[in-house]
Amino acid sequence: MTKVFVGMSGGVDSSLTAALLKEQGYDVTGVYMKNWTQDLPGMKCPWADDLADAKRVAVQLGIDFVVFDFETEYRQKVVDYMIEEYKRGRTPNPDIMCNQEVKFKLFLEAALEAGADMIATGHYARVENGQLQMAHDANKDQTYFLYRVTRQALEKTLFPLGEYDKPTVRQMAKDRGLYTAGKKDSQGICFVGQIGIREFLSEYVQQEAGSIIDTRSGKVLGQHDGAIFYTIGQRHGLDVGGGLPYYVVGKDMEKNEVYVTTDLNDGALWPSQVSLADVHWIDKTPIPGTYQVRVRHRAALTAAQLTLEGDTARLAFEHPERAVTAGQSIVIYDGVVCLGGGIVQSTKA
Amino acid sequence: MKDTSIFLDHAAATPLDPKVLQAMQPYLTDLFYNPSAPYAPAISVRHEYEAAKAMIAHTLGGKPDELIMTAGATESINLAFHAVSGHVVASNIEHHAVLRAAERCSHTLVAADERGMVSPEVVQAAITEETQLVSIALANNELGTIQPLRDIAAIVRQERARRIANGEATPIYLHSDASQGVGQVDISVARLGVDMLTLNAAKAYGPKQVGLLWASTLVKLTPQIVGGGQERGLRSGTENVAGTIGFAKALELAATHRKHEVERLGELRDRLQRHLIDAFPQAVVSGHQKHRLAGHLHISFPNIDAERVLFALESRGVLVATGSACAANKGTRSHVLDAIGLVPEIADGSLRLTLGHLNDQESIERAALIITEEVQREYDRMAG
Repeated sequence: MTKVFVGMSGGVDSSLTAALLKEQGYDVTGVYMKNWTQDLPGMKCPWADDLADAKRVAVQLGIDFVVFDFETEYRQKVVDYMIEEYKRGRTPNPDIMCNQEVKFKLFLEAALEAGADMIATGHYARVENGQLQMAHDANKDQTYFLYRVTRQALEKTLFPLGEYDKPTVRQMAKDRGLYTAGKKDSQGICFVGQIGIREFLSEYVQQEAGSIIDTRSGKVLGQHDGAIFYTIGQRHGLDVGGGLPYYVVGKDMEKNEVYVTTDLNDGALWPSQVSLADVHWIDKTPIPGTYQVRVRHRAALTAAQLTLEGDTARLAFEHPERAVTAGQSIVIYDGVVCLGGGIVQSTKA
Repeated sequence: MKDTSIFLDHAAATPLDPKVLQAMQPYLTDLFYNPSAPYAPAISVRHEYEAAKAMIAHTLGGKPDELIMTAGATESINLAFHAVSGHVVASNIEHHAVLRAAERCSHTLVAADERGMVSPEVVQAAITEETQLVSIALANNELGTIQPLRDIAAIVRQERARRIANGEATPIYLHSDASQGVGQVDISVARLGVDMLTLNAAKAYGPKQVGLLWASTLVKLTPQIVGGGQERGLRSGTENVAGTIGFAKALELAATHRKHEVERLGELRDRLQRHLIDAFPQAVVSGHQKHRLAGHLHISFPNIDAERVLFALESRGVLVATGSACAANKGTRSHVLDAIGLVPEIADGSLRLTLGHLNDQESIERAALIITEEVQREYDRMAG
């Protein structure tokens, strides 16, 4: 019998994942990955409740259950990475890093070590012939978060939920009487939760006043408490009163300055091309040409011309894309196949 | 599930006795007056409040002006520890409220034996010239072991007498948290020989967030909460009239029914214990087998993950505790089980089953069957 270790977070998706695999005849072990346990002001980290819920479901299913402790590695590879990126004025995606470094590396290795043949998670994605493919539910598709996973890892991975849409998953969980069937989905970055990235970063970086500058007139419009807290395209949280809303179009981390405009058509808000670094291809390097790309999770696919220069790539959008920011990932698709992608270095021509 | 659920965690919480609720109700609605107010209806409420305290004092065998009403046992314990500034002695199986309070002082934790018994001799050996407080719970909340408090009291009295004879000014008091013992053990302060006693209504079919500290006139308390000067200035804040009246009723009921209830619970507990030991001869029952709360059963199934059993039982409507509830939630092992030397393979397989009003013979027999099935299922899964 194929032995599968299922990452169980205590949510409905991973609970059903374990249930389905058991029904399909796999020898299933549930694994709670203990990655982050820290409370933040205004947010109690729910890890202990989540762990208990995951274990409840494991008991319900009569499967083995273990806890893998990745707290140290998660802090280094995901949280520290994220904070460092923000400090450099970039907007990283920690969930992508978590998949690359923790779930499909550490977890996979630890599971294989413990005797597993494969791992599984509750991601909405599909694997076919070692290729990563979009989930059937386009609305829930999570391949954006998975583009940095290796082909070797995918060959050892099952994503049973890739065939279903979310309402079906909930219904199937309910039909099976799973304890977590009615549990609310978690939102946003798991360790930041509802409080917002600004509050999270405030715990780790010094607040420092700087100028908010009108990018056209060069006039100082007001003060902010740290350029690190702002991202391109952001409208809210700018303490400049009256008139038309201002949007962030750039920032200078050295000078701690944030540049804004009221011009919705400002070129900096609508880059027509980007350069990507840390490019990762799941299978072979694609041939240059036109592909569908996604600039953020759940963003509509958009056409772009791909050119390659060694470890970097360049994308020229067919239509300018709003608020593409250094540090974020752009993921490249060929039909339903996720080819890989890279991290935005620059949006300059 | 609710209708058929079997509650076996009376050491964690008890439901309000209907008679207690009935006694409290008027003071939550019509008789809402502040007992400090000067008009007649309020004065009458104050008299009712004082009558309730007098009744509590009577039940404990103390005087009404020796009682300080608090918002629960944890506050009472903190108030007791607040009375002293020197060395304190407690056991290593005390509740966290005592352990954390002790850690604020210079302290010695004496070791309980493998049955969770704190021997008077080890307490005596830990007392120094600087010791101002000895704090030992009347009954341990995890194991149910009832401590030889009278003998410990004798030692404290002896030390006090020695100091007086020597002209030493350092006071020494004995405090006991008797929260777990109400309704199952004699809690007369005179017979126990304590100087301070903590009680909690929530463990005695009374309301939550209602507790008391009884302190003999010998003890010089200092307030932690200052303000309007209620409770003789030792615990300010508008009196919890309904809570205190409910507490008085709960203690009265506990005293009235104690003998019968101890017998009833003892039989049910023994029945449950026999059934589980017969089914699992390898199971380990902890706590003193004779000096133990009648409704208390601490049983460990070697190599079993008790939390799995807890979840399985929960889904079948049987509500139990694993070791100590608070500790279990944090994913850490119980300090009490460590202290009595249970090895992890045994400690991690521990269930605390505490019986009370909500149980009868039928429900205990059903619980015994369900627990047996679920523990067996775990052994089978591990073997498979």
